[in-house]
Amino acid sequence: MEAMQEPACEHSMNNNNHKGCAKPKPGEAAGGCSFDGAQITLLPIADVAHLVHGPIACGGNSWEGRGSLSSGSSLHRYGLTTNLNEQQIIFGGEKQLRDAIRGIVDRFSPPAIFVYSTCITALIGVDLDAICRSETEKLGISIIPVNSPGFVGSKSLGNRLAGEALLDYVIGTALPPSESKWDINLIGEYNIAGEIWDIKELLAQVGINILSKITGDGRFNEVRWAHRTKLNMVVCSRALINMARKMEERYDIPYFEGSFYGAKETTASLQTIARLLNDKELIDRVQAFTNQEEKKLDQELENYRKKLRGKRAVLYTGGVKSWSIISALQELGIDVVGVGTNKSTNEDIARIRERIGKDAKLIESGGAKKILQTFRKEKGDILIAGGRNMYVALKEHIPFIDINQERHHAYAGYKGLKKLAEQLVNSLENPVWQIVKLQPPWKER
Amino acid sequence: MTKKLDIKDHNTLFQAEKYQKQAEGKRVFEAACSVQEVEDTVELLKTEEYKEKNFNREAAVINPAKACQPLGAVLAALGFEGTLPFVHGSQGCVAYFRSHFARHFKEPVPAVSSSMTEDGAVFGGMRNLIEGLENSTALYKPKMIAVSTTCMAEVIGDDLSAFIENARIEGAIDQEFPVPFANTPSFVGSHITGYDSMMRSILAYLSEKNGDLSYKIPSEKVNIITGFDTYTGNFSELKRILELMDVDYTFLGDHSDNLDSPANGEYNYYYGGTKLDDVAQAHNANGTLLLQKYSTKKVTKYINKKWKQDTIAVSSPLGIKNTDQLLKNIKELTGKDIPQVLKDERGRVVDALADSHPYLHGKRVAMTGDPDLLLGLISFCLEVGIEPVHIVCTNGDKNFAEEAEALLKTSPYGMEGKVHIGKDLWHMRSLLLTEPVDFAIGGTHMKYCAKDAEIPLVRVGFPIFDRHHMHRYPIIGYQGTLNLLTLIVNTILQQLDDEAPAHSFDAVR
Repeated sequence: MEAMQEPACEHSMNNNNHKGCAKPKPGEAAGGCSFDGAQITLLPIADVAHLVHGPIACGGNSWEGRGSLSSGSSLHRYGLTTNLNEQQIIFGGEKQLRDAIRGIVDRFSPPAIFVYSTCITALIGVDLDAICRSETEKLGISIIPVNSPGFVGSKSLGNRLAGEALLDYVIGTALPPSESKWDINLIGEYNIAGEIWDIKELLAQVGINILSKITGDGRFNEVRWAHRTKLNMVVCSRALINMARKMEERYDIPYFEGSFYGAKETTASLQTIARLLNDKELIDRVQAFTNQEEKKLDQELENYRKKLRGKRAVLYTGGVKSWSIISALQELGIDVVGVGTNKSTNEDIARIRERIGKDAKLIESGGAKKILQTFRKEKGDILIAGGRNMYVALKEHIPFIDINQERHHAYAGYKGLKKLAEQLVNSLENPVWQIVKLQPPWKER
Repeated sequence: MTKKLDIKDHNTLFQAEKYQKQAEGKRVFEAACSVQEVEDTVELLKTEEYKEKNFNREAAVINPAKACQPLGAVLAALGFEGTLPFVHGSQGCVAYFRSHFARHFKEPVPAVSSSMTEDGAVFGGMRNLIEGLENSTALYKPKMIAVSTTCMAEVIGDDLSAFIENARIEGAIDQEFPVPFANTPSFVGSHITGYDSMMRSILAYLSEKNGDLSYKIPSEKVNIITGFDTYTGNFSELKRILELMDVDYTFLGDHSDNLDSPANGEYNYYYGGTKLDDVAQAHNANGTLLLQKYSTKKVTKYINKKWKQDTIAVSSPLGIKNTDQLLKNIKELTGKDIPQVLKDERGRVVDALADSHPYLHGKRVAMTGDPDLLLGLISFCLEVGIEPVHIVCTNGDKNFAEEAEALLKTSPYGMEGKVHIGKDLWHMRSLLLTEPVDFAIGGTHMKYCAKDAEIPLVRVGFPIFDRHHMHRYPIIGYQGTLNLLTLIVNTILQQLDDEAPAHSFDAVR
């Protein structure tokens, strides 16, 4: 309930009579559930065990579905579930859960276990908190309940509930081995295709240190000492804004929302970090570094820009990406002629407007069909969206780039913009588009 | 259950210490060159300098990607009803052809030899041929015997026409028993030349002997000649397309049943094949469609000249464009429309191409094979953004090289492509090591140089000994395009998995 009243979110029940996080509409092709959202947020923590308490499908279907990469431990990639059957559902499944927890500790001895509730265990009334508390006492490692069963709402709500679990059980329980004056946390960056590695390298070049990665390529301990940071940067705004706000409340840590997609946004983010850390030396360093990087990138992008200038793109993705990718595309000379806003906040939408003006079409909802309509009407050249819309686009002979979790290319930072340009050019130039559009010779005109 | 015996296979047996020691000892005994020397040579073979030497090589052919004429002749003969392929010469040759086909098709292959020996070589092979014809008709009861020749018979100058006539006079075979023959020396051309000669000979023999070429009974029929096609799946795919289009057709040479017979507990020597009487009527048809042109040059000429018939000869219809052209050709020959089923199928395959293209874009490939197959493959590759780089065609001629180069020039993805005719797989090895590519397409023999270059091999063509059932799936038509695509894209994806570090070993690709 508390998560539904998040004051930093304009959907909150406290703001303008909103009803809290939007509920999924029945009969509409919808995104993931809250369970999925909670997993998305927590799974990137690589050295802990993620145990799904429920029937096989919740764990089984989501297993390995995200491209959150780890540079070391791969425990998070084990699909651990209690795999409840009919009997166990009738009698409560508590024993299975306790056995599973102990089995995991024996086999993997992880620093912690996240235990996810699912629709079924929530319905039959498993007291997850109590079981986790007693197992924590017995086993001496953190067993953390994640109460985000699928039926409570959308994926975004799940992200937020996972954030609550981190705030309640993890953050503030340890101290870092060392601290520096330029420590920041990244919140809501999940290391898709290894993006956090590029960001880390980028920040290191001006001397900024990531104290805690929440949660891309994250480790349990670094999340525990996240409260010792000087600044929180929220990379995916909608998902974990509650976490940043509460950390400000509890620990007096300032936060801002930013992005690393495109050179302009990257530069702006670096400048904001320097400004908020309020250090003259850092501000100067950032200034020199961003000037140099942008100049270098300009040269490298010259050829790509020639090919991409004036191409028309339709963008359909969620949250922060709905505006930050726009900047990246514009920097490459692409006209963004349509933007999906299904998963964007009002603030996101305002930012979209700032970037593309009033003429571009906003696609509020309606799924694939609406996207394609806009694409045709606006005479688009390329669609940039997630995997679920990819095959529809291809069916309709539309060049496509995957921007969501299944992609294999990291687009963050100055380097990332070059990669994005390369992927755009590849996709647009592949001769398969001639073949799919080729009229068979027997076709009467 | 019986106790399992621990028997090591040759992959593991010689890893045992005993054999390792033995090999050590053998090395000393044989005064083998030093490890260093071996390593240096291996390195040398990878250099540009060696490549140049290699390409100037005149005296030796190393690992040629072709087979000899009578092998093609045997395949042509297997395409006709109750026909026994008969190779006049020493018997070793026939044993090779049989095992070659058996290993590829995983099927028994009936073929006999006149088993010439020393005295035959000295006094001529007539006795062997006459006895051979007599014995094989008695033993195998064929409806026709198709005679081809080995090098030996050609070198001593055996006169097949006279010998067969003498066999009739002697009563070794009936006066009317059909015995077409072709001269197929291995030292000229390749298996596709032999196929061409034998096919021409059979068509000429049967149509001139049993038919009347002096007048035509107008007919809606179309003749189909596949060329040296080792995919039985291609035959059924082609038949399916023709039936969907409601075309009345005759295959001239259909070896698909003979080389893909059912295992129902009883083996016959002969399965299916073109009816001999149908060949006699074939000149009445509306036209002939040939699905390979470099393996049917003589056949095409014959049909134009003697049957006075229109022919359309295309290279293997691989990929969308080529299949479109095939259907258009059929439509033009017959006036039949292309049914919705095929149009839908085209759409689905186009969809599949679109689905896979991100993984194929810009992949560099090296390929070997017969000329017609290579033209089909090049066309397919260019359609999805694969870049053909090294194209080695041991049995390709100048015309082929020109056509392939012209095809490569039609696309920016073909700009790097170089066509090497008359070159072998050792040349290919040099090419792979000096100008690396991402993967290779070819028959089994290419696996060695592909391994040396550490690239995967997509097995397409002939022979394929080390993978099963590839020939049962079509590679022509839309369906074949899909099969080819699946084969290639999954090889690339496998490679991606094999090379992925743990963190990029993704479930979704």
